[in-house]
Amino acid sequence: MFRRRLAGVLAAGVATAALLTGCGGDDATADGPVTLKVLTWEPGGTEYWKQVKTTFEAGHPDIKLEMQSVPFDKYPEVQGPYITSQSGPDVMANNAGLELFDRRNAYVPLGAKAAEINKDLVTYSGACEGFDTSKPCYGVPFSYQGNVLYYNKAVLTAAGLDPEKPPATWDEFGAACEAVKKSGKTCLALGLSGTFPAYWDFPEIARNYLTEEDVRALLAGKLSWKDPKLVAVLEKLAEITTKGWTNKNAPSITMLPDGADIFQRGDAAFAGTIISDAVNWEAFGKALGDDKLGVTRWPAIDPAAPLAQKFSGIEGAVYGVTQWSKKKEAGLEFITWLAGKENGELWVKHAKGQPLNKNVDKALLPSSPAFLKIQEFVAAPTLHAGVMLSGPEADALARGWQQVTLGQLTVDKWADQMQQALERSPTKKQTK
Amino acid sequence: MTISTAPVAEPAAADAPTAPARPPRRPAHAREWWLGAALVLPALVLALLFKVVPLVRGVITSFESSSGFGGSEFAGADNYTRMFDDPMVLTSFRNALLVVATLPVWIVVPLVLALLIHQRAPGWKFFRAVYFVPYTIAPIVVGIMFRQILSPDGPVNALLRGVGLEPLAIEWLNGRNSALFSLVAVALWSFFGLGVMTYLAGLATIPEETLEAAYLDGAGFFRRLWSVVVPMLRPTVAYWSVLCASGVLIWLFPLIYALTQGGPGDATMLPEYLVFLTTFQFLDRGYGSAIGIALFVFVALLSIFSVRHMFTEGTRKPR
Amino acid sequence: MNARHSARIGRYLLTFALVVVAVAAVYPLLFTVVSSLKTQSGFANDPLGLPAGITLDNYLEAFRRMDMPRLLLNSLITTLGGLVLSVLAALLVAYAVTKLRFRGGKVVFLLIIVTLTIPSQAIIYPLYQTVLDLGMSGEYQGLILAYAAFGLPLGTYQLAGYFQQVPDELIEAARVDGAGHLTILFRLLAPIATPALAALAIFNFVWMWNDLLLPLVIMGGSDSKTLMVGVSLLSGQYDVSVPLVSAGLIVALLPVLVIYLVFQRQLVAGALAGSGK
Repeated sequence: MFRRRLAGVLAAGVATAALLTGCGGDDATADGPVTLKVLTWEPGGTEYWKQVKTTFEAGHPDIKLEMQSVPFDKYPEVQGPYITSQSGPDVMANNAGLELFDRRNAYVPLGAKAAEINKDLVTYSGACEGFDTSKPCYGVPFSYQGNVLYYNKAVLTAAGLDPEKPPATWDEFGAACEAVKKSGKTCLALGLSGTFPAYWDFPEIARNYLTEEDVRALLAGKLSWKDPKLVAVLEKLAEITTKGWTNKNAPSITMLPDGADIFQRGDAAFAGTIISDAVNWEAFGKALGDDKLGVTRWPAIDPAAPLAQKFSGIEGAVYGVTQWSKKKEAGLEFITWLAGKENGELWVKHAKGQPLNKNVDKALLPSSPAFLKIQEFVAAPTLHAGVMLSGPEADALARGWQQVTLGQLTVDKWADQMQQALERSPTKKQTK
Repeated sequence: MTISTAPVAEPAAADAPTAPARPPRRPAHAREWWLGAALVLPALVLALLFKVVPLVRGVITSFESSSGFGGSEFAGADNYTRMFDDPMVLTSFRNALLVVATLPVWIVVPLVLALLIHQRAPGWKFFRAVYFVPYTIAPIVVGIMFRQILSPDGPVNALLRGVGLEPLAIEWLNGRNSALFSLVAVALWSFFGLGVMTYLAGLATIPEETLEAAYLDGAGFFRRLWSVVVPMLRPTVAYWSVLCASGVLIWLFPLIYALTQGGPGDATMLPEYLVFLTTFQFLDRGYGSAIGIALFVFVALLSIFSVRHMFTEGTRKPR
Repeated sequence: MNARHSARIGRYLLTFALVVVAVAAVYPLLFTVVSSLKTQSGFANDPLGLPAGITLDNYLEAFRRMDMPRLLLNSLITTLGGLVLSVLAALLVAYAVTKLRFRGGKVVFLLIIVTLTIPSQAIIYPLYQTVLDLGMSGEYQGLILAYAAFGLPLGTYQLAGYFQQVPDELIEAARVDGAGHLTILFRLLAPIATPALAALAIFNFVWMWNDLLLPLVIMGGSDSKTLMVGVSLLSGQYDVSVPLVSAGLIVALLPVLVIYLVFQRQLVAGALAGSGK
């Protein structure tokens, strides 16, 4: 008796649900312009994305852009369900490297068009499988990204160091840090929370021990974390904090914004951050003064190592058309435009980032000395080891480093945890 | 159109009872049943669609292995057995137990403050108003605010140094225990006002004379408090305990998000944050769901008494 | 004499304790307000002290970066929608369960309050999938219904407890006078339960307005996103300074604070009476 009543109630509930669903959809795809939904975390800032929308729509009256802006650190929560349910935006972005490869089945491969669309870009291999442009490519990058060491000339001078000759080797860096410490400032501003250690610090040490082949093996999950080369990388990372070169609260803060803030307010000599998007020469120059800001490579541990003098460069966010989009043509038109000169110039003007498009008007490029210095570094690019790490590995790297710093873990145990994390990575464990 | 769910039930219900108030008994009974069914329908649909269905889907996913965003396949209890070998999972539940162990503080601190306010000290209305302010601030905002406040050179440490308690001015978020403790303290800061208000509401139902007798007499104040006031407040204490027991882990989530991300190491890792990390950062939906279900069981066990209490409260006829 | 003396000291101690807690309660807020009035370099030079000069630039910048009127509207629609719907649904259930001869009512009641133990974090992924399947992702109604569902258990519990205290004879008398069920519910019971409703309203308003997880996953980054998502978008951006984030935070918490302060008396009265006797 009761059960029948319950069934009735349930049926009514389902009916109500169906009713609600019926009301829910409002796909008013009339004859007007096509509306493209674009999922983005607004790399380059709100102003730049406003410009993208107005400029693109002005040139393409048949396409409207509807931006879905999600905070950078909350992006996976919004994007994940879209991908598993195969629905949502027409164009979306992921960082070049493993992040993109892990999600490649969400994007339409560009096929033969990739070379044509990206023809004016300095590089676009980060949008392609295994960093190989002859393999399928899934989207369009337009910014260039990588790590450098910024320094505050005033702090170096106060510590009795030559601001025009920043430390170039590991030993020199150690000596400089001792001097800076004596002068009462922090040597290296650092935050060990989140994925920043994996993306911003790890590759700069790894360049001293790995070859490009090793980096590809890292991507494929074929390089063990117990390999002496990787253990050596971890040991050097540990040295940075255990030797007291950094701010004490490094284990509990994130590099962004808190770590970078230490440098930005003039309390630290060095900060290892990036060249585009933010906390770059532009932001630091504004805070400290362009004349006070210096930029250099991370110090070389083994200057003779094959990649020691190279730049770990990586394409920034890659925008691709989604598999489930019903407006693939318009989506393609939009990402093609993103790769073009017009957007490259918007990127330089409003986001103050490193452009990938070769044809950007040179007159628009900034005259900041730090920016000009960076142009020398990026001329000799190599693979970026950080973006080869999977989610579990990036997480384990940060947590392990925190614990090593606080004396709760040995480097060997850290390496063990890294290996376990690798074996837990959804895409990497398959390729093994 | 959404709002229509509730009103949909109304018109049908509205004319049903008005017409036949004079009873042929049996049909009235049946009609009342149908009316009842119509009235509970909106709530039932809501609870099913947005709570039960997702939970069931979560259970199903927890028995699947999914690699990244590819397809998924049945994996039996693999995800569950895996949890027992995963130190991160074990630590997260250990931490959850530690947090639960602070529940007495959650229950007592607001009670004491409510009693103090109830003494009608000068300006008591002002205090009552001010204590509620932290609760109105969004947890994510609280987290970002306290990032500055707990920083090594932030106001908390400046105060400690100022009053000569230099050794206590520690790196709050760096230590294994101090980090978790700090998070709980921040959460308590943001929720104690709700507790105070709840208790004041309860106190308002106790006859003045009883309270005055208990208060005036300086000696044995606490004994009377314990033996006279607290028993009379039992329903309120119970209600507040329900809220805390089912909520404390959830309340900590945005704070972990904004303050520690589970670190340093795994010192502030809690199951709900691990679910998030595993599902969204590690792309392991099956395993993430399994941890989520384990969390559900944990919370359910924790609040089984509360729910029983709520059920009897809601269905018992007054004596 | 002596007793009086010690009573006086007790009074002082009492007031002192209350003041300490009050300072602790509002200091973080004041700290944030002060920070929001500093320039970036002003904050860098002296993060703790009072600002040398007051600047409103951070607020202007926060407003420039966020589409404030739209965000406010979105928050208002979803919060009020969720609030009204969950309280309404709870009222109906509470009435059916406590005042009708409704077999199975207890089961329904139990089912609804048991859902209190399902934490949103544990089911957030399948919840989002369900919302997507219903075609309500990025739509107001998706978030409104989810809010209503999550506010339901406590509301149902509170109102049922309240109605339970109302003598059945009162209902019978009204029935005899020819009142229908809905008349009884909305004209008789609801007014009696006004205090409980007020307490419920403030509780729901605060958490719905402040919630981040549900609007984030249900609204995505669409134009219908709530103020709280907008603020976290601001603080999630790379180039943001502490003073600017502080300004954003103040803007986000101001509406709730203002509503609270304006209705403080009614709310307190509501809450005080609302625990039911």
